[in-house]
Amino acid sequence: MNCTRLQQVLDAHIDGELDRATTGEITAHLTECASCAALREQRSALRQALRAHAPYFKAPAALAPTIQRSLDRAMAESAAKLQSSATGRNAGLSWLHATALASVAALAGLIAGYWLAQPLPDYPLRDPAVASHVAALAPTRQLIQVASSDRHTVKPWFQGKIDFAPPVKDLAGDGYVLIGGRLDQVADKPAAAVVYQVRKHVINLFVWRATDKAPNSPAADPTANSNTDVTAAIATASVRGFSVTTWAAGGLRFAAVSDVDGRDLTRFAQLVSAP
Amino acid sequence: MSDASKLSRFEAVVLVHLDAAYNLARWLTRDAAGADDAVQDACLRAFRFFDNLHGPSPKAWFMTIVRNASLDWLKVQRASRAEESYDEDLHTAGAAESVEAAAARDSDAHWVRVGIAALPREYREVLVLRELEELSYKEISAIVDVPIGTVMSRLSRGRDLLQQRLLQSRERKRS
Ligand SMILES: [Zn+2]
Repeated sequence: MNCTRLQQVLDAHIDGELDRATTGEITAHLTECASCAALREQRSALRQALRAHAPYFKAPAALAPTIQRSLDRAMAESAAKLQSSATGRNAGLSWLHATALASVAALAGLIAGYWLAQPLPDYPLRDPAVASHVAALAPTRQLIQVASSDRHTVKPWFQGKIDFAPPVKDLAGDGYVLIGGRLDQVADKPAAAVVYQVRKHVINLFVWRATDKAPNSPAADPTANSNTDVTAAIATASVRGFSVTTWAAGGLRFAAVSDVDGRDLTRFAQLVSAP
Repeated sequence: MSDASKLSRFEAVVLVHLDAAYNLARWLTRDAAGADDAVQDACLRAFRFFDNLHGPSPKAWFMTIVRNASLDWLKVQRASRAEESYDEDLHTAGAAESVEAAAARDSDAHWVRVGIAALPREYREVLVLRELEELSYKEISAIVDVPIGTVMSRLSRGRDLLQQRLLQSRERKRS
């Protein structure tokens, strides 16, 4: 271990983040090298000053009760919403609504299994996906809530906003340039919209959960769990002048919508869904 | 899981970190009301997505959401009051400063507070998470969403900057 290397890892050493072998080398160097030992002393003094004097802002006493009230309100609202969707939409149930109702009845485990075993009825989802695409392009709407061509900015933006991790890829090399993302809905389901541009055309890639999770099922992390895998092949159609490509994978549903040629969109879907 | 049992589990697993959440939000927003708003927002988001808790620890997961809510709050503030400065913590010394305040201003406690508050956000947040919350590099890496190597280099750089301030402050005191 030389001085340069030691100084690079000195902080990690003080933080106790290094393995035992490296720690041993550092300790040995510090007993021999006065200038590195002096640096270590400075850092230790800094740490002491920080821990002694940096203010720790504890939550004000009023905050916990305020949060409690807003959680109570949120629970009441979601209960009311489930109630109204259970009674209010008897006509023209889509399969999405049907599964939502099933979960209200706490039958989703069974029903979802049934739906997953069926060939996925794709076509009812193309219309809502196109509707969401068109709405997003309206001048009064915000197409992009997080603007970035960096997937490391766009992907984490969705965390905490939506309960799954949509795939976000850098496809600029293939001509599909990431421009950002936003929260949206497809057929009343919360959806991540990842926005790309190819030439001058916008592509909205909508991603949403394939089914409602049963209230009693163990919490599933969609990034880690693949036994509830739903897969449906990539299929491209034309709806109201837009190309729509749909597929399903990893418990998520995907719909890419754009006014580009259907073949461009199919190619895009292949790139996005490639492992 | 019933709503009531979800709520009590949420309290036990997530809300126990309320102080940590507030501390991070306060250092990020540098604003008491902003921290209130961001933490409330974060609690609602966390409650909604509680079934999908993941990451190295529940605290790290919650802190990720708190950080996002704080950055969202800052974004809204910047957009609505772009011309104003938010470094209120840095503007503590008024014109009619008392003798005690002047003495306190040169104390270690003062430079530590001002020093951290004045750091660029990317250094400030890792320092707060490490020195005040004592989270591991792995947890910090998950919260800030950067590789562990970046956590390491940001911590080093942040400490370098603070160290310079410490030396300056002590020299001022001597002169
Ligand atoms: Zn040395």
